[in-house]
Amino acid sequence: MAACRLLRSLSSNFITVLPSLSRSAPLCRLRPVSTPCFGRTLTSSSRLTAALKFTDKHEWIRVEEDGHGTVGISNFAQEALGDVVYCGLPEVGTQLAQQDEFGALESVKAASELYSPLTGEVVEVNELLADKPGLVNKSCYKDGWLMKMTIAKPEELDALMDETAYERYIRSIED
Amino acid sequence: MLSHIRRTLSLVRGCSGVCRIQTSTNPARSSSSFSDLTTASDSGGLVLRSQSTDVYLNLALEDWIDANLDLQQRSVLLLWGNQPAVVIGRHQNPWTECNLPAMRKAGIPLARRRSGGGTVYHDLGNLNLTFFTSKKAYDRQRNLKVVTDALRRIRPELDVKATERFDILLNGHLKISGSASRLSRKSSYHHCTLLHSADRSTLSASLRPSCPGILSNATPSVPSPVANLVDHAPALQWEELLDALEHQYNTEFGFSAASTLVNPADEAAFPGLSRMEAELRSWDWTFSKTPKFSIQTVLDLTDARSARSSAQLNMEIKSGLIESCQLDVPTDWLPQRLIGELSGVLVGERFCGHRAAAAVTALLRSESGELQDRLTNLCDAVVRAMG
Repeated sequence: MAACRLLRSLSSNFITVLPSLSRSAPLCRLRPVSTPCFGRTLTSSSRLTAALKFTDKHEWIRVEEDGHGTVGISNFAQEALGDVVYCGLPEVGTQLAQQDEFGALESVKAASELYSPLTGEVVEVNELLADKPGLVNKSCYKDGWLMKMTIAKPEELDALMDETAYERYIRSIED
Repeated sequence: MLSHIRRTLSLVRGCSGVCRIQTSTNPARSSSSFSDLTTASDSGGLVLRSQSTDVYLNLALEDWIDANLDLQQRSVLLLWGNQPAVVIGRHQNPWTECNLPAMRKAGIPLARRRSGGGTVYHDLGNLNLTFFTSKKAYDRQRNLKVVTDALRRIRPELDVKATERFDILLNGHLKISGSASRLSRKSSYHHCTLLHSADRSTLSASLRPSCPGILSNATPSVPSPVANLVDHAPALQWEELLDALEHQYNTEFGFSAASTLVNPADEAAFPGLSRMEAELRSWDWTFSKTPKFSIQTVLDLTDARSARSSAQLNMEIKSGLIESCQLDVPTDWLPQRLIGELSGVLVGERFCGHRAAAAVTALLRSESGELQDRLTNLCDAVVRAMG
Protein backbone atom coordinates (compact mmCIF):
# COMPACT_ATOMS: atom_id res chain seq x y z
CA MET A 1 0.00 0.00 0.00
CA ALA A 2 2.83 2.41 0.87
CA ALA A 3 4.35 1.62 -2.49
CA CYS A 4 1.14 2.61 -4.24
CA ARG A 5 1.03 5.94 -2.42
CA LEU A 6 4.64 6.47 -3.39
CA LEU A 7 3.84 5.67 -6.98
CA ARG A 8 0.96 8.14 -7.03
CA SER A 9 3.05 10.93 -5.56
CA LEU A 10 5.82 10.20 -8.02
CA SER A 11 3.33 10.24 -10.89
CA SER A 12 2.11 13.65 -9.89
CA ASN A 13 5.73 14.84 -9.79
CA PHE A 14 6.05 13.44 -13.26
CA ILE A 15 3.14 15.50 -14.45
CA THR A 16 4.56 18.79 -13.23
CA VAL A 17 7.92 17.98 -14.81
CA LEU A 18 6.36 17.18 -18.20
CA PRO A 19 3.62 19.77 -18.61
CA SER A 20 2.47 18.29 -21.91
CA LEU A 21 1.14 15.31 -20.00
CA SER A 22 -2.19 16.55 -18.72
CA ARG A 23 -4.61 14.49 -16.65
CA SER A 24 -6.88 14.08 -19.60
CA ALA A 25 -4.22 12.89 -22.00
CA PRO A 26 -3.76 9.17 -22.22
CA LEU A 27 -1.07 8.26 -19.77
CA CYS A 28 -0.26 5.10 -21.62
CA ARG A 29 1.98 6.53 -24.29
CA LEU A 30 4.28 3.57 -24.43
CA ARG A 31 7.20 5.69 -25.55
CA PRO A 32 9.70 4.96 -22.79
CA VAL A 33 10.28 8.50 -21.57
CA SER A 34 6.69 8.96 -20.51
CA THR A 35 5.86 5.58 -19.06
CA PRO A 36 4.37 5.97 -15.59
CA CYS A 37 5.18 2.35 -14.72
CA PHE A 38 7.90 3.72 -12.54
CA GLY A 39 11.31 2.24 -12.11
CA ARG A 40 12.15 0.81 -15.51
CA THR A 41 15.04 1.95 -17.68
CA LEU A 42 14.54 3.43 -21.11
CA THR A 43 16.14 0.56 -22.99
CA SER A 44 14.20 -2.18 -21.23
CA SER A 45 10.96 -0.32 -21.89
CA SER A 46 11.75 -0.12 -25.59
CA ARG A 47 12.46 -3.81 -25.81
CA LEU A 48 9.37 -4.75 -23.86
CA THR A 49 6.89 -2.63 -25.70
CA ALA A 50 8.29 -3.46 -29.11
CA ALA A 51 6.43 -6.74 -29.64
CA LEU A 52 3.17 -6.13 -27.80
CA LYS A 53 -0.20 -6.59 -29.38
CA PHE A 54 -3.31 -5.17 -27.75
CA THR A 55 -6.98 -6.02 -27.50
CA ASP A 56 -9.84 -3.56 -27.23
CA LYS A 57 -10.22 -4.79 -23.65
CA HIS A 58 -6.85 -3.23 -22.83
CA GLU A 59 -4.97 -6.48 -22.52
CA TRP A 60 -1.62 -7.08 -24.16
CA ILE A 61 0.04 -10.22 -25.41
CA ARG A 62 3.71 -10.66 -26.17
CA VAL A 63 4.98 -13.64 -28.17
CA GLU A 64 8.01 -15.11 -26.40
CA GLU A 65 10.92 -16.98 -27.89
CA ASP A 66 9.35 -20.31 -26.93
CA GLY A 67 6.23 -19.46 -28.93
CA HIS A 68 4.03 -18.94 -25.89
CA GLY A 69 2.18 -15.70 -25.34
CA THR A 70 2.58 -13.69 -22.14
CA VAL A 71 -0.60 -11.82 -21.24
CA GLY A 72 -1.13 -8.75 -19.10
CA ILE A 73 -3.15 -5.56 -18.88
CA SER A 74 -2.10 -2.22 -20.29
CA ASN A 75 -1.12 0.87 -18.38
CA PHE A 76 -4.42 2.46 -19.39
CA ALA A 77 -6.24 -0.46 -17.77
CA GLN A 78 -4.23 -0.49 -14.56
CA GLU A 79 -4.74 3.26 -14.17
CA ALA A 80 -8.47 2.86 -14.68
CA LEU A 81 -8.67 0.00 -12.20
CA GLY A 82 -6.88 1.61 -9.33
CA ASP A 83 -4.99 -0.44 -6.76
CA VAL A 84 -5.41 -4.11 -7.51
CA VAL A 85 -6.07 -6.06 -4.31
CA TYR A 86 -6.58 -9.50 -5.79
CA CYS A 87 -5.79 -11.31 -9.03
CA GLY A 88 -8.21 -14.13 -9.81
CA LEU A 89 -6.34 -16.19 -12.37
CA PRO A 90 -7.12 -19.50 -14.12
CA GLU A 91 -5.72 -22.94 -13.42
CA VAL A 92 -2.82 -24.12 -15.55
CA GLY A 93 -4.27 -26.32 -18.26
CA THR A 94 -7.41 -24.25 -18.78
CA GLN A 95 -8.47 -24.15 -22.42
CA LEU A 96 -9.49 -20.71 -23.60
CA ALA A 97 -11.15 -19.50 -26.78
CA GLN A 98 -10.46 -15.95 -27.88
CA GLN A 99 -12.50 -13.54 -25.72
CA ASP A 100 -13.37 -16.16 -23.11
CA GLU A 101 -13.48 -14.86 -19.57
CA PHE A 102 -10.41 -16.23 -17.82
CA GLY A 103 -10.42 -14.45 -14.48
CA ALA A 104 -10.87 -11.12 -12.79
CA LEU A 105 -8.83 -8.38 -11.17
CA GLU A 106 -10.33 -6.98 -8.02
CA SER A 107 -9.65 -3.41 -7.05
CA VAL A 108 -11.46 -0.86 -4.93
CA LYS A 109 -13.25 0.07 -8.12
CA ALA A 110 -14.79 -3.31 -8.94
CA ALA A 111 -14.10 -6.89 -9.94
CA SER A 112 -13.09 -6.48 -13.60
CA GLU A 113 -13.35 -9.48 -15.87
CA LEU A 114 -10.34 -10.56 -17.90
CA TYR A 115 -10.85 -11.75 -21.48
CA SER A 116 -8.47 -14.06 -23.30
CA PRO A 117 -6.74 -12.25 -26.18
CA LEU A 118 -6.25 -15.49 -28.11
CA THR A 119 -7.27 -19.13 -28.32
CA GLY A 120 -4.94 -21.43 -26.43
CA GLU A 121 -4.09 -23.22 -23.22
CA VAL A 122 -2.87 -21.66 -19.99
CA VAL A 123 0.67 -22.92 -19.34
CA GLU A 124 1.75 -20.66 -16.50
CA VAL A 125 0.25 -18.20 -14.08
CA ASN A 126 2.18 -15.44 -12.30
CA GLU A 127 2.47 -16.82 -8.76
CA LEU A 128 4.01 -13.57 -7.47
CA LEU A 129 0.64 -11.88 -7.80
CA ALA A 130 -0.85 -13.98 -4.99
CA ASP A 131 1.12 -12.04 -2.39
CA LYS A 132 1.80 -8.93 -4.46
CA PRO A 133 -1.26 -8.06 -6.55
CA GLY A 134 0.01 -4.46 -6.72
CA LEU A 135 2.63 -5.57 -9.24
CA VAL A 136 -0.11 -5.24 -11.84
CA ASN A 137 -0.19 -1.52 -11.12
CA LYS A 138 3.53 -0.98 -10.57
CA SER A 139 4.85 -3.05 -13.44
CA CYS A 140 2.03 -3.88 -15.80
CA TYR A 141 4.30 -4.77 -18.75
CA LYS A 142 6.96 -6.65 -16.84
CA ASP A 143 6.63 -8.13 -13.34
CA GLY A 144 2.84 -7.73 -13.31
CA TRP A 145 2.22 -10.19 -16.18
CA LEU A 146 -0.85 -12.33 -15.54
CA MET A 147 -0.49 -15.60 -17.40
CA LYS A 148 1.23 -17.40 -20.26
CA MET A 149 -0.62 -19.37 -22.87
CA THR A 150 -0.11 -21.39 -26.01
CA ILE A 151 -1.08 -19.74 -29.28
CA ALA A 152 -3.36 -22.21 -30.99
CA LYS A 153 -4.36 -19.85 -33.83
CA PRO A 154 -1.50 -17.49 -34.71
CA GLU A 155 -3.68 -15.72 -37.26
CA GLU A 156 -5.67 -14.25 -34.36
CA LEU A 157 -2.61 -12.15 -33.54
CA ASP A 158 -2.88 -10.34 -36.85
CA ALA A 159 -6.27 -8.94 -35.88
CA LEU A 160 -4.95 -7.42 -32.65
CA MET A 161 -3.73 -3.84 -32.45
CA ASP A 162 -0.10 -2.90 -32.48
CA GLU A 163 1.20 -0.17 -30.20
CA THR A 164 0.38 2.70 -32.55
CA ALA A 165 -3.12 1.47 -33.26
CA TYR A 166 -3.72 0.93 -29.55
CA GLU A 167 -2.65 4.47 -28.72
CA ARG A 168 -5.04 5.75 -31.36
CA TYR A 169 -7.76 3.58 -29.89
CA ILE A 170 -7.23 4.97 -26.39
CA ARG A 171 -7.38 8.52 -27.66
CA SER A 172 -10.61 7.78 -29.46
CA ILE A 173 -12.38 6.33 -26.44
CA GLU A 174 -11.23 9.09 -24.15
CA ASP A 175 -12.94 11.69 -26.32
CA MET B 1 -49.70 -8.21 -34.97
CA LEU B 2 -52.27 -7.91 -32.21
CA SER B 3 -51.52 -11.35 -30.81
CA HIS B 4 -47.84 -10.40 -30.70
CA ILE B 5 -48.66 -7.38 -28.55
CA ARG B 6 -50.90 -9.47 -26.31
CA ARG B 7 -48.07 -11.97 -25.69
CA THR B 8 -45.55 -9.32 -24.80
CA LEU B 9 -48.01 -7.45 -22.60
CA SER B 10 -48.67 -10.56 -20.56
CA LEU B 11 -44.96 -10.76 -19.83
CA VAL B 12 -44.89 -7.19 -18.65
CA ARG B 13 -47.56 -7.08 -15.95
CA GLY B 14 -47.51 -3.74 -14.28
CA CYS B 15 -45.74 -1.99 -17.11
CA SER B 16 -47.65 1.13 -18.03
CA GLY B 17 -47.76 2.77 -21.43
CA VAL B 18 -44.37 4.27 -20.71
CA CYS B 19 -42.77 1.06 -21.98
CA ARG B 20 -43.93 1.53 -25.54
CA ILE B 21 -43.85 -1.77 -27.33
CA GLN B 22 -42.81 -1.62 -30.93
CA THR B 23 -45.36 -3.24 -33.14
CA SER B 24 -44.04 -5.69 -35.65
CA THR B 25 -45.33 -5.98 -39.17
CA ASN B 26 -44.12 -9.55 -39.26
CA PRO B 27 -46.65 -11.68 -37.39
CA ALA B 28 -44.30 -14.64 -37.41
CA ARG B 29 -41.80 -12.88 -35.11
CA SER B 30 -42.13 -14.48 -31.71
CA SER B 31 -41.43 -12.15 -28.86
CA SER B 32 -41.52 -14.04 -25.63
CA SER B 33 -37.88 -13.14 -25.01
CA PHE B 34 -37.28 -10.47 -22.42
CA SER B 35 -34.47 -8.91 -24.37
CA ASP B 36 -36.74 -8.52 -27.39
CA LEU B 37 -39.14 -6.64 -25.21
CA THR B 38 -36.62 -4.27 -23.78
CA THR B 39 -34.93 -3.43 -27.05
CA ALA B 40 -38.34 -2.48 -28.34
CA SER B 41 -39.14 -0.05 -25.57
CA ASP B 42 -37.99 3.51 -24.90
CA SER B 43 -34.32 4.01 -24.41
CA GLY B 44 -33.56 5.52 -21.04
CA GLY B 45 -34.28 3.52 -17.95
CA LEU B 46 -35.82 0.26 -16.95
CA VAL B 47 -36.97 -0.55 -13.43
CA LEU B 48 -37.37 -4.22 -12.56
CA ARG B 49 -38.45 -6.17 -9.49
CA SER B 50 -37.57 -9.84 -9.28
CA GLN B 51 -40.36 -12.17 -8.26
CA SER B 52 -37.87 -14.77 -7.10
CA THR B 53 -36.44 -15.03 -3.59
CA ASP B 54 -33.84 -17.63 -4.55
CA VAL B 55 -30.33 -16.20 -4.20
CA TYR B 56 -28.89 -18.23 -7.09
CA LEU B 57 -31.69 -17.30 -9.49
CA ASN B 58 -31.35 -13.64 -8.58
CA LEU B 59 -27.57 -13.61 -8.97
CA ALA B 60 -28.01 -15.38 -12.30
CA LEU B 61 -30.58 -12.76 -13.30
CA GLU B 62 -27.95 -10.06 -12.72
CA ASP B 63 -25.49 -11.87 -14.95
CA TRP B 64 -28.15 -12.45 -17.56
CA ILE B 65 -29.12 -8.78 -17.69
CA ASP B 66 -25.47 -7.79 -17.91
CA ALA B 67 -24.80 -10.21 -20.74
CA ASN B 68 -28.02 -9.81 -22.74
CA LEU B 69 -29.35 -6.28 -22.46
CA ASP B 70 -27.83 -3.43 -24.41
CA LEU B 71 -26.74 -1.18 -21.60
CA GLN B 72 -25.04 1.40 -23.80
CA GLN B 73 -28.29 3.24 -24.39
CA ARG B 74 -30.32 2.11 -21.43
CA SER B 75 -29.73 1.78 -17.70
CA VAL B 76 -31.51 -0.68 -15.46
CA LEU B 77 -32.40 -0.76 -11.79
CA LEU B 78 -33.19 -4.22 -10.41
CA LEU B 79 -34.73 -4.66 -6.95
CA TRP B 80 -34.54 -8.08 -5.37
CA GLY B 81 -34.58 -9.92 -2.06
CA ASN B 82 -33.73 -13.43 -0.95
CA GLN B 83 -34.71 -16.05 1.57
CA PRO B 84 -31.93 -16.27 4.17
CA ALA B 85 -28.56 -16.71 2.48
CA VAL B 86 -24.96 -15.65 2.91
CA VAL B 87 -23.27 -14.11 -0.11
CA ILE B 88 -19.49 -13.89 -0.32
CA GLY B 89 -17.46 -11.78 -2.74
CA ARG B 90 -15.75 -13.13 -5.85
CA HIS B 91 -12.37 -13.75 -4.26
CA GLN B 92 -13.27 -14.53 -0.69
CA ASN B 93 -12.75 -17.55 1.55
CA PRO B 94 -16.07 -18.83 2.92
CA TRP B 95 -14.39 -20.57 5.85
CA THR B 96 -13.01 -17.31 7.18
CA GLU B 97 -16.06 -15.24 6.35
CA CYS B 98 -18.98 -17.29 7.59
CA ASN B 99 -19.99 -20.05 9.93
CA LEU B 100 -20.65 -22.90 7.53
CA PRO B 101 -21.66 -25.51 10.14
CA ALA B 102 -24.20 -23.13 11.71
CA MET B 103 -25.55 -22.21 8.30
CA ARG B 104 -25.88 -25.87 7.33
CA LYS B 105 -27.87 -26.53 10.51
CA ALA B 106 -30.13 -23.58 9.84
CA GLY B 107 -30.55 -24.40 6.14
CA ILE B 108 -28.94 -21.14 5.06
CA PRO B 109 -27.22 -21.54 1.69
CA LEU B 110 -23.94 -19.96 0.65
CA ALA B 111 -23.51 -18.17 -2.65
CA ARG B 112 -20.42 -16.64 -4.22
CA ARG B 113 -21.24 -13.66 -6.39
CA ARG B 114 -19.26 -12.44 -9.40
CA SER B 115 -18.64 -8.96 -8.07
CA GLY B 116 -15.88 -8.17 -5.59
CA GLY B 117 -16.21 -6.93 -2.05
CA GLY B 118 -17.14 -8.53 1.24
CA THR B 119 -19.60 -10.94 2.81
CA VAL B 120 -23.21 -10.09 3.50
CA TYR B 121 -26.22 -11.79 5.02
CA HIS B 122 -29.46 -11.66 3.05
CA ASP B 123 -33.00 -12.34 4.18
CA LEU B 124 -36.42 -10.97 3.32
CA GLY B 125 -35.72 -7.94 5.52
CA ASN B 126 -32.80 -6.95 3.29
CA LEU B 127 -33.33 -5.24 -0.04
CA ASN B 128 -30.81 -5.57 -2.85
CA LEU B 129 -30.48 -2.91 -5.52
CA THR B 130 -28.49 -3.45 -8.72
CA PHE B 131 -27.66 -0.50 -10.96
CA PHE B 132 -26.74 -1.61 -14.49
CA THR B 133 -25.05 0.88 -16.82
CA SER B 134 -22.47 1.12 -19.56
CA LYS B 135 -18.90 1.28 -18.26
CA LYS B 136 -18.78 4.96 -19.13
CA ALA B 137 -21.80 5.73 -16.99
CA TYR B 138 -20.51 3.70 -14.02
CA ASP B 139 -20.93 5.97 -11.00
CA ARG B 140 -21.38 4.37 -7.59
CA GLN B 141 -21.71 7.58 -5.62
CA ARG B 142 -24.52 8.71 -7.86
CA ASN B 143 -26.30 5.39 -7.36
CA LEU B 144 -25.94 5.68 -3.59
CA LYS B 145 -27.30 9.22 -3.82
CA VAL B 146 -30.48 7.66 -5.19
CA VAL B 147 -30.75 5.63 -1.98
CA THR B 148 -29.89 8.42 0.46
CA ASP B 149 -32.10 10.97 -1.34
CA ALA B 150 -35.01 8.51 -1.35
CA LEU B 151 -34.59 7.86 2.37
CA ARG B 152 -34.33 11.55 3.17
CA ARG B 153 -37.47 12.23 1.19
CA ILE B 154 -39.64 9.72 3.02
CA ARG B 155 -37.94 9.98 6.42
CA PRO B 156 -36.20 13.34 6.64
CA GLU B 157 -35.34 12.74 10.27
CA LEU B 158 -32.95 9.88 9.35
CA ASP B 159 -29.26 10.76 9.30
CA VAL B 160 -27.99 8.71 6.35
CA LYS B 161 -24.77 9.28 4.50
CA ALA B 162 -22.70 7.44 1.90
CA THR B 163 -19.02 6.99 2.72
CA GLU B 164 -15.88 6.91 0.58
CA ARG B 165 -15.96 3.13 0.87
CA PHE B 166 -19.43 3.13 -0.70
CA ASP B 167 -21.16 2.08 2.52
CA ILE B 168 -24.24 3.90 3.76
CA LEU B 169 -24.13 4.76 7.43
CA LEU B 170 -26.96 5.68 9.74
CA ASN B 171 -26.12 8.19 12.46
CA GLY B 172 -22.53 8.24 11.32
CA HIS B 173 -21.58 4.75 12.42
CA LEU B 174 -24.23 2.12 11.79
CA LYS B 175 -23.97 0.38 8.46
CA ILE B 176 -27.24 -0.06 6.61
CA SER B 177 -25.78 -0.70 3.16
CA GLY B 178 -22.65 -2.15 1.55
CA SER B 179 -21.66 -2.19 -2.12
CA ALA B 180 -19.87 -4.34 -4.65
CA SER B 181 -19.41 -4.15 -8.42
CA ARG B 182 -18.49 -5.97 -11.57
CA LEU B 183 -17.11 -4.59 -14.82
CA SER B 184 -17.50 -6.77 -17.88
CA ARG B 185 -17.11 -6.40 -21.65
CA LYS B 186 -19.04 -3.21 -22.24
CA SER B 187 -21.16 -2.83 -19.16
CA SER B 188 -21.09 -2.70 -15.43
CA TYR B 189 -23.22 -3.37 -12.44
CA HIS B 190 -23.04 -1.92 -8.99
CA HIS B 191 -25.18 -3.62 -6.37
CA CYS B 192 -25.80 -2.79 -2.77
CA THR B 193 -27.72 -4.14 0.18
CA LEU B 194 -30.16 -2.13 2.26
CA LEU B 195 -31.11 -3.36 5.72
CA HIS B 196 -34.79 -2.72 6.30
CA SER B 197 -35.71 -5.38 8.87
CA ALA B 198 -33.22 -8.19 8.64
CA ASP B 199 -32.78 -10.77 11.39
CA ARG B 200 -29.72 -9.35 13.10
CA SER B 201 -29.09 -12.23 15.44
CA THR B 202 -28.94 -14.73 12.56
CA LEU B 203 -26.82 -12.22 10.68
CA SER B 204 -24.16 -12.06 13.37
CA ALA B 205 -24.30 -15.81 14.04
CA SER B 206 -23.70 -16.49 10.33
CA LEU B 207 -20.94 -13.97 9.74
CA ARG B 208 -18.32 -15.60 11.91
CA PRO B 209 -15.40 -17.81 10.88
CA SER B 210 -16.10 -21.53 10.49
CA CYS B 211 -12.83 -22.58 12.01
CA PRO B 212 -9.74 -21.01 13.56
CA GLY B 213 -6.19 -20.93 12.29
CA ILE B 214 -6.82 -20.05 8.62
CA LEU B 215 -4.01 -18.28 6.74
CA SER B 216 -5.28 -16.84 3.51
CA ASN B 217 -4.69 -14.03 1.05
CA ALA B 218 -8.32 -13.96 -0.02
CA THR B 219 -10.01 -10.58 0.05
CA PRO B 220 -11.19 -9.94 3.61
CA SER B 221 -14.44 -8.36 4.74
CA VAL B 222 -14.40 -5.22 6.82
CA PRO B 223 -16.72 -5.96 9.74
CA SER B 224 -19.06 -3.17 10.77
CA PRO B 225 -21.83 -2.71 13.31
CA VAL B 226 -25.13 -2.76 11.45
CA ALA B 227 -28.64 -1.44 11.97
CA ASN B 228 -32.04 -1.95 10.41
CA LEU B 229 -33.96 1.03 9.08
CA VAL B 230 -37.01 -0.06 11.06
CA ASP B 231 -35.02 0.22 14.28
CA HIS B 232 -34.91 3.96 13.66
CA ALA B 233 -38.02 4.46 11.53
CA PRO B 234 -40.44 1.80 12.82
CA ALA B 235 -43.34 2.70 10.54
CA LEU B 236 -41.28 2.41 7.34
CA GLN B 237 -43.02 -0.17 5.15
CA TRP B 238 -41.20 -2.35 2.64
CA GLU B 239 -43.41 -1.25 -0.26
CA GLU B 240 -43.03 2.38 0.72
CA LEU B 241 -39.25 1.95 0.58
CA LEU B 242 -39.30 0.27 -2.84
CA ASP B 243 -41.62 2.89 -4.31
CA ALA B 244 -39.45 5.71 -2.99
CA LEU B 245 -36.28 4.16 -4.42
CA GLU B 246 -37.84 3.60 -7.84
CA HIS B 247 -39.18 7.13 -7.88
CA GLN B 248 -35.81 8.57 -6.88
CA TYR B 249 -34.01 6.53 -9.53
CA ASN B 250 -36.24 8.06 -12.19
CA THR B 251 -35.77 11.54 -10.73
CA GLU B 252 -31.98 11.27 -10.47
CA PHE B 253 -31.47 9.99 -13.99
CA GLY B 254 -34.36 11.71 -15.73
CA PHE B 255 -36.20 8.49 -16.58
CA SER B 256 -39.90 7.76 -16.42
CA ALA B 257 -39.77 4.00 -16.16
CA ALA B 258 -42.58 2.11 -14.52
CA SER B 259 -41.78 -0.88 -12.38
CA THR B 260 -41.89 -4.28 -14.10
CA LEU B 261 -42.03 -7.65 -12.39
CA VAL B 262 -39.69 -10.28 -13.77
CA ASN B 263 -39.42 -13.97 -13.03
CA PRO B 264 -35.89 -15.33 -13.51
CA ALA B 265 -37.24 -18.88 -13.36
CA ASP B 266 -39.02 -18.28 -16.67
CA GLU B 267 -36.63 -19.86 -19.16
CA ALA B 268 -38.67 -18.62 -22.10
CA ALA B 269 -38.27 -15.04 -20.96
CA PHE B 270 -34.62 -15.49 -19.96
CA PRO B 271 -33.04 -18.09 -22.25
CA GLY B 272 -29.80 -19.37 -20.83
CA LEU B 273 -30.40 -18.09 -17.29
CA SER B 274 -30.82 -21.56 -15.84
CA ARG B 275 -27.34 -22.49 -17.06
CA MET B 276 -25.92 -19.45 -15.26
CA GLU B 277 -27.87 -20.37 -12.15
CA ALA B 278 -26.55 -23.94 -12.23
CA GLU B 279 -23.00 -22.64 -12.35
CA LEU B 280 -23.57 -20.29 -9.42
CA ARG B 281 -25.10 -23.12 -7.42
CA SER B 282 -22.25 -25.53 -8.12
CA TRP B 283 -19.66 -26.62 -5.56
CA ASP B 284 -16.98 -25.75 -8.10
CA TRP B 285 -17.94 -22.09 -8.24
CA THR B 286 -18.87 -21.68 -4.58
CA PHE B 287 -16.02 -23.54 -2.88
CA SER B 288 -13.46 -24.56 -5.46
CA LYS B 289 -12.92 -20.95 -6.48
CA THR B 290 -11.56 -20.21 -3.00
CA PRO B 291 -8.00 -18.90 -3.23
CA LYS B 292 -5.39 -21.32 -1.92
CA PHE B 293 -5.17 -21.23 1.87
CA SER B 294 -3.73 -23.11 4.80
CA ILE B 295 -4.84 -24.07 8.26
CA GLN B 296 -2.48 -24.11 11.20
CA THR B 297 -4.13 -25.04 14.42
CA VAL B 298 -3.70 -26.97 17.62
CA LEU B 299 -6.04 -29.86 18.25
CA ASP B 300 -7.05 -30.60 21.80
CA LEU B 301 -6.85 -34.36 22.29
CA THR B 302 -7.52 -34.42 25.99
CA ASP B 303 -9.98 -37.15 26.84
CA ALA B 304 -11.55 -38.37 30.05
CA ARG B 305 -8.82 -40.89 30.72
CA SER B 306 -5.51 -39.56 29.50
CA ALA B 307 -3.63 -36.46 30.52
CA ARG B 308 -3.89 -33.24 28.55
CA SER B 309 -2.68 -33.90 25.07
CA SER B 310 -2.59 -31.96 21.84
CA ALA B 311 -1.59 -32.23 18.20
CA GLN B 312 -0.59 -29.69 15.58
CA LEU B 313 -2.56 -29.74 12.33
CA ASN B 314 -1.19 -28.14 9.17
CA MET B 315 -3.26 -28.36 6.02
CA GLU B 316 -2.99 -26.76 2.61
CA ILE B 317 -6.23 -26.39 0.71
CA LYS B 318 -6.27 -25.66 -2.98
CA SER B 319 -9.40 -25.37 -5.11
CA GLY B 320 -11.40 -26.44 -2.07
CA LEU B 321 -9.52 -29.76 -1.84
CA ILE B 322 -7.04 -30.86 0.81
CA GLU B 323 -3.71 -30.71 -0.99
CA SER B 324 -1.54 -31.67 1.94
CA CYS B 325 -2.09 -32.65 5.53
CA GLN B 326 0.48 -32.82 8.29
CA LEU B 327 -0.32 -34.00 11.78
CA ASP B 328 2.18 -33.67 14.59
CA VAL B 329 0.96 -36.02 17.27
CA PRO B 330 2.94 -37.23 20.30
CA THR B 331 4.44 -40.48 19.04
CA ASP B 332 3.67 -42.36 22.22
CA TRP B 333 0.01 -41.50 21.82
CA LEU B 334 -0.53 -42.95 18.35
CA PRO B 335 1.87 -44.83 16.07
CA GLN B 336 3.30 -42.84 13.18
CA ARG B 337 1.89 -45.38 10.75
CA LEU B 338 -1.69 -44.51 11.68
CA ILE B 339 -0.99 -40.78 11.50
CA GLY B 340 0.38 -41.28 8.02
CA GLU B 341 -2.65 -43.29 6.96
CA LEU B 342 -5.01 -40.68 8.30
CA SER B 343 -3.24 -37.92 6.37
CA GLY B 344 -3.26 -40.07 3.27
CA VAL B 345 -6.99 -40.63 3.50
CA LEU B 346 -7.69 -36.92 3.80
CA VAL B 347 -5.49 -35.67 0.97
CA GLY B 348 -7.56 -35.18 -2.17
CA GLU B 349 -10.85 -34.91 -0.29
CA ARG B 350 -13.00 -31.81 -0.29
CA PHE B 351 -12.24 -29.58 2.67
CA CYS B 352 -15.46 -30.44 4.43
CA GLY B 353 -16.14 -31.99 7.83
CA HIS B 354 -18.73 -34.39 6.43
CA ARG B 355 -16.44 -35.65 3.71
CA ALA B 356 -13.57 -36.04 6.12
CA ALA B 357 -15.75 -37.96 8.58
CA ALA B 358 -16.86 -40.32 5.82
CA ALA B 359 -13.32 -40.75 4.53
CA VAL B 360 -11.92 -41.87 7.87
CA THR B 361 -14.66 -44.40 8.60
CA ALA B 362 -12.88 -47.35 7.03
CA LEU B 363 -9.62 -46.45 8.73
CA LEU B 364 -11.35 -46.33 12.11
CA ARG B 365 -13.01 -49.69 11.60
CA SER B 366 -9.65 -51.30 10.96
CA GLU B 367 -8.45 -50.53 14.47
CA SER B 368 -9.76 -51.56 17.85
CA GLY B 369 -9.44 -50.98 21.54
CA GLU B 370 -7.48 -48.06 22.85
CA LEU B 371 -5.91 -47.30 19.48
CA GLN B 372 -9.33 -47.00 17.93
CA ASP B 373 -10.48 -44.71 20.76
CA ARG B 374 -7.50 -42.43 20.31
CA LEU B 375 -7.79 -42.46 16.54
CA THR B 376 -11.48 -41.59 16.85
CA ASN B 377 -10.56 -38.77 19.19
CA LEU B 378 -8.02 -37.48 16.68
CA CYS B 379 -10.39 -37.81 13.73
CA ASP B 380 -13.13 -35.97 15.60
CA ALA B 381 -10.73 -33.16 16.39
CA VAL B 382 -9.62 -32.92 12.75
CA VAL B 383 -13.21 -32.88 11.52
CA ARG B 384 -14.08 -30.16 14.06
CA ALA B 385 -11.12 -28.09 12.89
CA MET B 386 -12.56 -28.11 9.39
CA GLY B 387 -15.69 -26.34 10.45
